[in-house]
Amino acid sequence: MSAPQPSAVPAAANDNEGPAAPRPRARRPVPDEAGVIGVLILLVLGVGLFQPDFLSTGNLLTTTHNSVYVGLMACGMVFALAMREVDLSVGGLYAMGIVVGALLIRDGMNTWLAVLVVLALSALVGALNGAVTTYLRLPSFIVTLATSMLLRGVGLALAEGKQITDLPQDDAFFRVLGGGETLGAPNAVWVFAAAVAALTVLFTRTRFGARVRAIGSNPEAAEFGGLPVTTTRIAALALSGLMAGLAAVLALAFFIAGDPTIGQGYELTAIAAAIIGGTPLKGGSGSVLGAAAGCLILGVVTAALVFFEVPINWTTFATGGVILVAVGAAPLLRRVRDLRPARDPRAGPAPRHVPDGRSPGRNP
Amino acid sequence: MLVASGLVKHYGGVTALDGVGIALDAGEVHALVGENGAGKSTLVKIISGVVRPEAGTIALDGERVRFAGARQAAAQGVAIVSQELMIYDDLTVLENLFPYGAPRRGGLVSTREMRALAAPVLAELGLDPPPHAKAGDLPLADRQLLEICRALLQRPRVLILDEPTSALPRAAAARLAEVTRGLAERGLAVLYISHFLEEVMRVATRVTVLRDGRVVLPGAPAADVGLDSLVTAMLGRPAARAASGSAQPTPPAAAPPRPGGAAVTLTGVTVPGRLREVSLEAASGEIVGLAGLQGSGHLAVLDAVCGRARPSAGAVRLPNGRSPRSARHAVGQGVASITGDRKGRGLMLDKPLWENVTAVSWLAQGRGGPMPRRAALVERSRGHLDRLRVRGDVRARTGGLSGGNQQKVVLAKWLDAAPAVLALDDPTRGVDVGARGELHDIVRELAAGGRVVLIASSDLAELVELCHRVLVFQHGRVVDVLDGDRLTEPELSIAMNAGFAGTAG
Repeated sequence: MSAPQPSAVPAAANDNEGPAAPRPRARRPVPDEAGVIGVLILLVLGVGLFQPDFLSTGNLLTTTHNSVYVGLMACGMVFALAMREVDLSVGGLYAMGIVVGALLIRDGMNTWLAVLVVLALSALVGALNGAVTTYLRLPSFIVTLATSMLLRGVGLALAEGKQITDLPQDDAFFRVLGGGETLGAPNAVWVFAAAVAALTVLFTRTRFGARVRAIGSNPEAAEFGGLPVTTTRIAALALSGLMAGLAAVLALAFFIAGDPTIGQGYELTAIAAAIIGGTPLKGGSGSVLGAAAGCLILGVVTAALVFFEVPINWTTFATGGVILVAVGAAPLLRRVRDLRPARDPRAGPAPRHVPDGRSPGRNP
Repeated sequence: MLVASGLVKHYGGVTALDGVGIALDAGEVHALVGENGAGKSTLVKIISGVVRPEAGTIALDGERVRFAGARQAAAQGVAIVSQELMIYDDLTVLENLFPYGAPRRGGLVSTREMRALAAPVLAELGLDPPPHAKAGDLPLADRQLLEICRALLQRPRVLILDEPTSALPRAAAARLAEVTRGLAERGLAVLYISHFLEEVMRVATRVTVLRDGRVVLPGAPAADVGLDSLVTAMLGRPAARAASGSAQPTPPAAAPPRPGGAAVTLTGVTVPGRLREVSLEAASGEIVGLAGLQGSGHLAVLDAVCGRARPSAGAVRLPNGRSPRSARHAVGQGVASITGDRKGRGLMLDKPLWENVTAVSWLAQGRGGPMPRRAALVERSRGHLDRLRVRGDVRARTGGLSGGNQQKVVLAKWLDAAPAVLALDDPTRGVDVGARGELHDIVRELAAGGRVVLIASSDLAELVELCHRVLVFQHGRVVDVLDGDRLTEPELSIAMNAGFAGTAG
């Protein structure tokens, strides 16, 4: 990729070089996220070329706002996928979280307390996914598929199949997280951005993140080396659940209603977004920022189809096509990048950072 | 009956077979012996048609044949039981016996007919498994016998058994030997390949020895060949002379310091199916070798010390007095599990060196805290890698290094965890000679620094060069201990292959 480094990334990669390391800085590879973010920008500009209205701040913010829910799930999913697990329960958890939150608030619980209950409950359900996966020695695929249905069923039963309305619309919770804006952007978008930043740090900078990546990279070596595989798995799936819960809280605040049928298929969209963003299914690596960008790509496509007046019944078809193209293009781009010869850093000031085949995303 | 002659085969630049011939007669058990890499398996593969020879012929009853694979060979009456088990774990016992299509009735598989066909053969081998049990649920010995049943069901005239007893306990091996002789008496030609020389001497009527791809002892009557001359033929030098005469490298440093207390001890340790009441002690500063053929139990000792195998009886004590409860617990107690299986168990090949080096100390033992400065980790890794003279940048992808350098990274990762016990399993597998020597020096240095070193290796020279003493395992027990002047390659080979009783008697 010859895309310039997006401004959001270098902060994460800067202190790579030890203070005592007298090594040329030009060695630093282009971060993997650059490709996805480049595609996202090109896509937005491309659509804007034909539909200038698409580029209006209002529209871009709305599109982003619509992507927040799946986006949060995709960011959590990165942790599951990076350790060779998958969490199919996030869609069901999302629906149940909304219903439970709506019921608690309708029945008079303090809204912020209800938020905490929903978040705690989602993390707990995620941890249970991890515990069942570990102790029954089942693949997380089947465990979370089952819990997904269980959770959606619980949501439907609690809501008696109906939307839960009659919520106190004027409560600060709905005003702040639902309709509120800060610096011109919806607060939900800020929450999303904060979550992306926090999870990026968690994934790339902390012991927990390193454990997740190490276990995904070589589970047998992790077991051999005495890594706490079980607790890490439980924590990663708890985190994935927590992100679904956070999405539920934001959705409840925005819709001011508890719809038990919401979020059908969100888990698969979240997985697709994570993969588009450079998190391989085989585990070992991943990118929270990439997953967020992948989700925005899918959101932009959905919004663009409206602009191009594609019949609504064709949007699912188009989304499927985009996922296929995006997932197929990423490895292609990576291969092209790896083929480019490495530049000798001493040959002169390199105009841009040249990957030297040691980029973390290169797969053997 | 089956005559192979003038077979030649090269793999790359390595000569596997160089004009090998062998003749099997009806009614005999013909043993084929030789060290690892002598060409035994290649010969079997050529006879079965899996591998094509560059020259030479195979004739069955005087007619030249070339089989396209085990199935075609079986159709012509040549059945092969190969070294690796070819059992379908998820199929039933009966289904496993008819891999090329079960007898059918009206287009459907006839269980009744299968059972009728299988019953006499199963009985002959003394097997009585529930016919609908899954083969994967049977004990290892039964699975091996099942494979032999399958071969016999093809009503072969020539039966080739490649290491048939490597996984069998003594009783089953004896039973198999009896069955094998019975088959020969009925007029089959049996080619019997085995590491266990004693067993070969019991079963075989004639013996052929291969060394370095050549026949060095062609079809000698077993009665005329002694165990010693067999070993001489295998190794190419008399065992006794090789021990004293050949230029041995400087023997390991004099007797190791034996301060009391800090030792790894096993007392009466039994691991079901792998170890039987093994007791041993390895003092700090001592390098103790564990030798044995595959499945003999030497690796189970490492697993027990590293917490991967829980003893059903007896106790493992680490230098600090604790018993390892799990792999993670053992790592926490300072046990380093250094493997030669770099790709499978040792390294994350897609990750940079520093992430591998810190994988145990930081990720497993938690040293450095939940969010250390990355620069500090990288710097610490660089220190270890520089000390071990690893040629490779600390941020380079580990998979891009040579085998020797990768192996040093495995060592660096465990050194970073400050271990008290080193458990090495084939630590220089596939490593070039230079790096091998460096790794050996490091291990000696670590032992001299007061650590307990246990090492298993398929490279006998490595054990001889490195160890203060070597424990030899067979069938889950320690059968011999070699040290001092007795610690030589030929002695070790004899002890592993023939067993203590065989050499003493």
